[in-house]
Amino acid sequence: MPNDESGAGATSGEAFLSLRGLTKHYGDAVAVDNINLDVPKGQLVAFLGPSGCGKTTSLRMIAGLTPQSGGRIIVGGQDLTGVPAYKRDMGLVFQSYALFPHMSVERNVGFGLEMRNVARDEIAKRVRDAIALVHLTSMETRRPTALSGGQQQRVALARALVIRPSILLLDEPLSNLDAKLRDEMRKEIRDIQQRLGITAVFVTHDQTEALTMCDKVVVMNHGRLEQVGTPTELYEQPRTEFVAAFVGRMNRIRAHARNGGTEFAGQRLPVPAGVDGSVSIMMRPHRIAINPVASEEARCRIAGTIVRAVFVGDILQYEVDVTGQIVSVELATQGGESVLAPGAPVTLCWRPQDTYVFGASP
Amino acid sequence: MTTIPADRNDGETNRRLPLVITLLLPIALVNTLGFLTPVFNLLRMSFFEAQGTGAMQEVYGFATWQKIVADSFYAELLLNSVGTSLAITVLTLLCSYPIALYLHRSNGLWRSILLVLVIAPLLTSAVVRTYGWIVILSENGPINNVLAATGVGRMRLIFNQTGVMIGLTEILMPYMILALLAGFGRLELRVEEAAASLGASPLRVFRHIVLPLTLPGIALGSLLCFVLAVSSFITPKLLGGGRVFLLATEIYDQAIVTLNWPVASALSILILLIFGTALLLYTRALNPAA
Repeated sequence: MPNDESGAGATSGEAFLSLRGLTKHYGDAVAVDNINLDVPKGQLVAFLGPSGCGKTTSLRMIAGLTPQSGGRIIVGGQDLTGVPAYKRDMGLVFQSYALFPHMSVERNVGFGLEMRNVARDEIAKRVRDAIALVHLTSMETRRPTALSGGQQQRVALARALVIRPSILLLDEPLSNLDAKLRDEMRKEIRDIQQRLGITAVFVTHDQTEALTMCDKVVVMNHGRLEQVGTPTELYEQPRTEFVAAFVGRMNRIRAHARNGGTEFAGQRLPVPAGVDGSVSIMMRPHRIAINPVASEEARCRIAGTIVRAVFVGDILQYEVDVTGQIVSVELATQGGESVLAPGAPVTLCWRPQDTYVFGASP
Repeated sequence: MTTIPADRNDGETNRRLPLVITLLLPIALVNTLGFLTPVFNLLRMSFFEAQGTGAMQEVYGFATWQKIVADSFYAELLLNSVGTSLAITVLTLLCSYPIALYLHRSNGLWRSILLVLVIAPLLTSAVVRTYGWIVILSENGPINNVLAATGVGRMRLIFNQTGVMIGLTEILMPYMILALLAGFGRLELRVEEAAASLGASPLRVFRHIVLPLTLPGIALGSLLCFVLAVSSFITPKLLGGGRVFLLATEIYDQAIVTLNWPVASALSILILLIFGTALLLYTRALNPAA
């Protein structure tokens, strides 16, 4: 069971955006379950999780597009409960861009300022600046349909930024872009966010986006917070089996715990206090060594047989049979190494601190 | 050897052109026989001379057209027809727009049920529905009974302009709703939400986003309903009780009752011109730049 205080535990600095017991029910179904979170000013926070985990619903509640069933959303000390979306002053970027098809790039970007009754000259100036910020100068008069996906996303970003929102909300903004463009936009969004010092929430199912772009990552599953932490914390100290499996690649081995310890292929491993019965032993494929030359002390060490070898280019992937369970191992290629054939007996080694043991989820 | 590809190319282009013609031929034929020829005949007939007996003399002359231009009755008829049809179109649009918008936003089984409800009236003929309206709107009908009971007093809702407008609006609503839905393709919920997030109140979202994006549907539906309203004659005849004079009913009277085919023909051509104008305005509405 993930504990309910996992959100509050990650609080650091003064919170600008606070979620207090945020909950959303659809009839009997719980989409978002009692979320507590504090985001300091100027941070980029990722809501990471599989589809249906409640991350988009949470974002829509912050934006005021979906009414919450319970809990509070506080921005800059002000409780936003009951404040309609158009009075929340938040910049929103959708996965589908949601540009106004009947308006030029310029008018799309200027729309928020028009709604705020900003003077004409100032609109023109701020729109020009925002368009320059996302590198779309000379595209001002085009219609959205005449732009590529990446350009449309830039317009959506400029449109959300030009109103100088209190919070920038990004809902899977890169999912509709191809891989190369996604990389580029990732850097650009992060760059702009840091330059403007804007507080931002980034919803994604892509762990790479969450880990590489964000100050803090909120991992969600079944409407609940699994863990909140920096990318390093999540990767190195996953608190639940779900987080361990979802962030980065991970081996999972079924075992049985008894008397504060468990055993796997003759190797005894410590188990967290209070965990008993069936457990999952987890370790990252690239932190396992095969047939190490020097025998180092304090290493876990088990024997197995190669089942399959796949050469990927930068890495070499092995599937190793260890007492009937498959362990994946990834080795960085140096060039010139020989690939072990299936059937070859090997010894797998890893550091004890790279082993994670979790009690089976109920 | 080298001539073979060239021959094949020629063969292909030769074969492709006839294919287009072959495909267009049936509809071209049907249109020529079923539309162009009769219209041309109408035009020809409008220059014939009508006699009191109802016989028609195949002598060309401008007598009929002169009569139509000179007689203020026909000018009034034209104005009344166009005015009534425009009013009906606006009324139909106002009644149908919220329904179409709601339908556009609903989904799943609920949407299917609503669509069936919208289309269902088309399963019964307009004549039957018009008789239904006669019952509902008549002096002793349910509406007037309620008005009398509540002390408002009985109103004349039928055999006048009001009756025609109520009846035609209801009869045209399914067409309007379907045309609106067909033209609502560009309106997405996300776009409306984006506008709201940028600070647009619901009213401004409607004015700046919903209305412009649904304009194609509004134009299409209005054109369709205007054309149907101008050309309808059963409902105006039954609900107008002979007191409402419209082009379509007049054509019917001239052709069937008075047997003055030249006048009927000339008025038919006039209606065709109105349609042409409406179509022109529709194209203009969709391309303001052109």
